[in-house]
Formats: sequence, structure tokens, C-alpha cells
Amino acid sequence: MIALLRIAKSVVFISSLLFVMSILPTHSVYSQDAGPSVSDLGSITVRAHDTDNDAGGAITVEWDDPGYEKLAGFVGFLIWRTNTLAGTNDSVEVTPFGTRTYDDRSVSDDSTYSYSVAALVNGERLMSAPSVQVRSSKQWFDGRLTWVLILGLIICGAVIYFIESAKRGTKLFLRRIAGLEAIDEAVGRATEMGRPILFVAGIQDMDDVQTIAGLTILGSIARTVAEYDTKINMPVRASLVMTAARETIKQAYITAGRPDAYNDDMVHYVTDEQFGFVAAVDGIMVRERPAACFFLGAFFAESLIMAETGNSIGAIQVAGTAMPAQLPFFVAACDYTLIGEELFAASAYLSEEPRQLGSLKGADVGKAIAMIVILVGVIATTIASAWNSESMLWIENLLRQMFSTG
Amino acid sequence: MKRQIPMLILSAVGTLLVVSVFIPSARHWQEDASLYFDIIAVFAFFLGGGNLIRVHTEKVNRKSAGWIYSVVTLLGFGIMLVAGLFKIGNPGGIAGDISQTGSYFQLLFQYVMSPLNSTMYALLAFYVASASYRAFRAKNTEATILLVAAFVILLGRTALGVLLTNWIPAQLSVLQIPNLAIWIMNAPNLAGQRAIMIGISLGVISMSLRLLLGIERSYLGGDN
Amino acid sequence: MDSALIGTWLAALLTLGIMSFIYKDNLYYKVCEAIFIGISAGYWFITYFWDSLYRKAWVGIVHQGDYILLGGVILGAMMLTRLFGKIGWIARWPLAFIVGATAGLKMMVYFTTNAMAQVHGTVNDMMAAFSGGDLYDLIGRLVILIGTVTGLIYFYFSKEHKGVFGGVAKVGTWFLMITFGASFGYTVMSRMSLLLGRIDFLLTDWLKLVK
Repeated sequence: MIALLRIAKSVVFISSLLFVMSILPTHSVYSQDAGPSVSDLGSITVRAHDTDNDAGGAITVEWDDPGYEKLAGFVGFLIWRTNTLAGTNDSVEVTPFGTRTYDDRSVSDDSTYSYSVAALVNGERLMSAPSVQVRSSKQWFDGRLTWVLILGLIICGAVIYFIESAKRGTKLFLRRIAGLEAIDEAVGRATEMGRPILFVAGIQDMDDVQTIAGLTILGSIARTVAEYDTKINMPVRASLVMTAARETIKQAYITAGRPDAYNDDMVHYVTDEQFGFVAAVDGIMVRERPAACFFLGAFFAESLIMAETGNSIGAIQVAGTAMPAQLPFFVAACDYTLIGEELFAASAYLSEEPRQLGSLKGADVGKAIAMIVILVGVIATTIASAWNSESMLWIENLLRQMFSTG
Repeated sequence: MKRQIPMLILSAVGTLLVVSVFIPSARHWQEDASLYFDIIAVFAFFLGGGNLIRVHTEKVNRKSAGWIYSVVTLLGFGIMLVAGLFKIGNPGGIAGDISQTGSYFQLLFQYVMSPLNSTMYALLAFYVASASYRAFRAKNTEATILLVAAFVILLGRTALGVLLTNWIPAQLSVLQIPNLAIWIMNAPNLAGQRAIMIGISLGVISMSLRLLLGIERSYLGGDN
Repeated sequence: MDSALIGTWLAALLTLGIMSFIYKDNLYYKVCEAIFIGISAGYWFITYFWDSLYRKAWVGIVHQGDYILLGGVILGAMMLTRLFGKIGWIARWPLAFIVGATAGLKMMVYFTTNAMAQVHGTVNDMMAAFSGGDLYDLIGRLVILIGTVTGLIYFYFSKEHKGVFGGVAKVGTWFLMITFGASFGYTVMSRMSLLLGRIDFLLTDWLKLVK
């Protein structure tokens, strides 16, 4: 009877225990099986080193977790720092689940530090042994950008080589670009009709390289305008562009031997507001009816408004931009469009100066490198996956590494 | 001399900023250059704003064609300047943020500038329709390809696109317009974008080198 | 009178004025254009004044001791010499600074994000196709490869587009046309929705014809 009672009590006790355990909330994202307890786990191993590729003031702390994260009641890892010079101790950060590394960016290069990592479990701190002492320092070169530097030097070297080659008199062949050949025709047409030309160097400021490209083309067009004695109207959205454009056109008139024909009012500021500028340009187009419109620079949504309005007045339109999203609208609405790279090449083409043309050959070397790399990568991948070739896998990884920008 | 010093400044600044990309402790130069640009642009605005006032004032004085609109422009400019510089109606007073709700500056932005902006932007609907009509007359192979691609993408985002090709069996589901649209965006469109972007970057490098080496200098004027 | 009501009426009248340009240039549009230019030029001047000149330059130098910004102020002041004919050439110095900074910075940005990242993406695509992709995936990635290479050949300046080279460049042109068509088709709907937004404002907020 007593034994039966004992058995019954045990069954009730065990059942209650099982019932209580099944309804308890879990604290860990991992499954709560009957895993190891704290005493079964070894200590955390901590490594600290100077953070790579930085300007100093940072130490990277890494640690291995023997299993504390799987414990119920685990909250996080506490990073503990000791400044061995000042003799101070600080808690730096509590890191979330899944973290095994932390960059401490609040250190000084003048001191040495050691780190410990504590697992926070059920209100307890389970501290590791401290790491070795480490000092942060700055690196003079970001090693991650080694391939960027090498490839950049190759392409810049090619550009400089062809520039020098052109200076020495080597004849360089460059294919025709229809849009550039139309520029003289457009200016000539405007002169015959006695109507002005309209030039818009994009809507961005001088901190956009496309605006600078537009202004370099303006220099060539302005020389033709000065020679033909055509009127030029250049509304601008940014005051800096106004200043640069005035210098450009003035110099063009001086070079053409007609300095008195230049007038500052050829370039006038409108407004910094994108669509306010477009409203004004549209107004100029329908009222002054320019015979030729040049849209060369950075444009956004307003590109279509300007191009369509120019189309409606029957002007000959030459556009060029390196904004891929706006190219379709220029292609649809304008007579000639300089696509992407052609905008940057245009000033070199128009100048016909050998050194400028040489720089275009250098850019072609860059394209050739890109094509060769892509084709080599494809061939290497094909052979590597078909025949499991070690050497092809090596080439694959090398190419991935070379062109990784991370 | 008047050209040499600016060219030296240009080459030095450009080279330093290229180098700063590779040197971690020099990367803040890029932010400093950006701040310098912001400050210089404000000073330049005095030139631009001054030009705006001068051009329109001359038009009014000479009673040139459309001079009455210049009066409107000058009035608008003046009202905005006064409202903004003295923060009129600003709940926080002169020390408050310029665009605080209730300030005259913010009201002018909300009820004048913003609707004008949105409406100009909305005009694109009309212009895209007229551009489409002209572009899609398919005079040659290239125009035909552009037309077909545009139509597939356009229809692929509508219910009509689904209806037109939902009879195509599952084995050839890539030919259904919505799937075809996705494939065009992810394959040939991506290829073209990549070619354009690689070309652009090489064009920027070549032009930047021309600027840094002093080969391209038209915007700097002459020795006068 | 309620300022919101006045504001709504003003906004509606300005909206109709700009829209009238679609019909043709007219007095109403010209007035709205003049208001737009004046108000927006003033808006941006005030924004730059308080943001860049006061907050960044004045507060930065005087209150935060960031004396490096003095360089920007000096260069900015040099811009103003443009107003004085004889010494106007000094304005080229800040211009040169900006052009140099732009050239230097953008060169590296474009090289890493446009050139290297795109080549990396193309090579990676092919590697992914061969490790676990299906036939449809492989065809897509081959198309990307062919399109990228032929597109680059189109942009090649050093050779005339004749013969085999010209044929390959032609294929590149077709890929570019697909790209342009795709961009065009993609943006048409969003442009239409902008117009719907303005019509909604007129009918709902102004005329209250639609609730």
C-alpha cells in the first residue's frame, strides 16, 4: 500500500514537472532540449587585434562561444575593456545573438588595452580570461583596395601612354559619332534662320562630372557660335555653372577673335529649383524659338519635358547624358543622342587635339580589359565546372577577388 | 599666370582626393571638400541671385517685352527672401527652424512652390504620351526593338498583359507577358545597363585625367 | 479667413495655370512661371543661407571651432571678386578647386561602382549559372554576357563599325535599344500616376467633388 502510494506520488510529481516545463517560455532562439548546463561548458576564448585598414582608434575583438548562446536565460555577450595604461575598466557593449566579433571604436592609439568577454546568463556574468594587450594604430594604405589601385593604375597608365603617343605625332583613329558631326550643321542652321541656339548644361551643379563634360563641349560650340556670329542663350540652374559657363564662352569669343561680341547676359541664372528651371526653359523655347537645342549634361525627369517642347518648335536637338534612366527619352525625342561615354568623349572629338583624342584610346584599353576579364572568367568557370580543374578554379577566385569592391 | 595657378590648384586638389580614397586617415578630406563646395555654392548664389535681380530689373526699366512678368518674378523673390531671412510668422521666432509649420516661408512652400512643382512633374504624362506616339512609329530595326521592349514591359505591369497570354501553357510560361517582362528586365536590360555603366566610368576616368593633367581647360578662361 | 482654404485655392489656380501650357503658351502660364521662378529662387537662397552659410560655416567656425571651414569661406569670398572686373580672374581659383575635387572624387567613385562592380557582377553571374542554376537561368545569364560584351564593343572608339566588328556592334545596339525600351515602358505608368495625383487634388481637395 505504502509502495503504491510512493509510486503514485512519484508519477504525480514527474507529470507535474513535465507539465510545468512544457508551458515555460523559452529565452533562447535555439530549441530547448535538455542541452548542456553552464558547468559543462568551457570558457570563452577571446582574441583582440588592431582593426585593419582604418585610420586608427579601433580594435577588433573576436571570441569563440563554447555553447553559452544555446542556454536558456542567455541574454548576450558583454565586452569588457581594460585600459592597461590608465588602469581603468569599462564595459563597452552588450552584443546581440549570433555575434562573435565587435569593433571597439572608442580607443586611443596612445594606450594599450586587453579585453574579456562575459556571457550573460540568468543574471550571471561568466567572464572569460583576458586577451593579450593590444594597441590600435592607423594603416597608411587600405589593403582591400589593392586591386582597385592596380587596375586603376593600368587604365590611367594606358590613357597617359596614348596621350604621350599622340603628342609625339602618332596618328590615332577614332570612329565617327553622328551626334557630334551634327553640331556644326545645327549651329549653321540657326545662323541661316537668324534664330538663337539654346544650350543647357544639365541641371546639376559643378560637383557633377557630367556638368563639367557639358561645359567642355560648350567651349567648342561657343567657338563655332562666335565664328558664325550666332546668338546663344544659356539658362543655368546653378550659380557656379553660370560663372564657369561665362568664362568658357568669353574665352571662345576671344579665341575666335571677336571679344567685343561677347555679352555676360548670354548665360543667365534662372532658379535652383528643378521644375522651376524647366518651366523657364520651356518658356524660352516657345517664345524665342531657338533653331537648335543642345542638352548636354546631367538630367532627371525634366529631360522629356524639355526635349518634347524642343521637338514641338521644330528645333534640331542634340542631347547627351550619362543618366541611363533619361537616355530613352532623349533617344525618342531628340535628333541625335550622345549615349553615356560619348558625352565625355565629345569634347575631345570636337577639339581634334591629339592629346585629347589620345585619352579616348586609353579608355578603349579599359573596355578591352573588361571584355577580356569577362570572357576569361566565363571560360574558366565553364572548364572548372565541367572538369573540376584546380587551375581554372584558381583563376575564377582570382577574378572574383580582383573585381570585388568590398 | 591667371591660368597657371588655377590649373595647379585643380591638379593638386584632384590628386589629393584620389589618393585619399586609399589612405584611411585621409578619407575625411572628401567630407571637407564637400563642405567647402556647399559654402562656395552659397557665395556663388549671391552672383546668381544678383544676376536674376539685375536681368529682371533691366527688363522692367527698359519696358522690354514681358516686363510685367519680371515684376512678378522680382516680387516673388523679394517676398520669399523677407519671409525667410526674418523668419516671419515662425512659431520659434528668429532662432527657430526655417521650415517650422505655420511660418510664412513654409506656407509659401506648401501652397505655392509645392503645387507648381507637382504640376510640372505631372505634365510628364502628356509628354510621355506624345513621345511614345512618335517613337513607336517603328521606322527601322532599332526603333522596332525599342517599341517591342517598351510594350512588353508596359503590358507586363498591367492586368491586360496577364489576360493576353494566360492561355500559354506552363512549360512555356516564360513567354507569358508578365514573365517575359521580368526576364527582359533581368537579362537583356541588365546587360545593356552594364555596358553603359562600364563605358561611363571609363569616360569619366579619361575626362578626369584630361582635367587633372591640364589638357582640358576651357572653363578656366584665358590669360586675360 | 481660413489660411488652408486660401492656400488650397491658390494651389489649384497655380496648378491649372501650369497645365494650360499643354494647350499653348499663354498669359496665365507666363504669370505662373514668373511666380514659380521668383518664389523658388528665393526659397533656395534662404535654404542655402541658413543651412550652409549659417549652420555649417558660421556655427561650425565660431561656435564649434572647426577652423578648417575658413578655407571654404575664403574660397567663397573669392567667388565674389567676379563682380569686380579687374580682379574677377580670382574667381577661377575656387572654380578650379571645385572642378579638381569633382574630377578626383568622381573618378574613383565611378571606377569602383560602375566599372569594377559591373564586371564583378557579370563574371559572378556566369559562375552562379554553372553551379546550381537551371537551363532557363543559364540562358538568361548567357544573354547578359553577350549583351554586356557586344554593348562594350558598340562603345569602342578605336575601330570603325564595319564587317564582323560592325555586325557585333550592331548586336550591341540592339541590346541598348532593349534597355532603352525597358526603361521607357517602366516609367510610363509612374508618369501617368503623377497626373492622377494632381487631378485627385483638384477634384478632392479643391472642388470637393470626390470624397
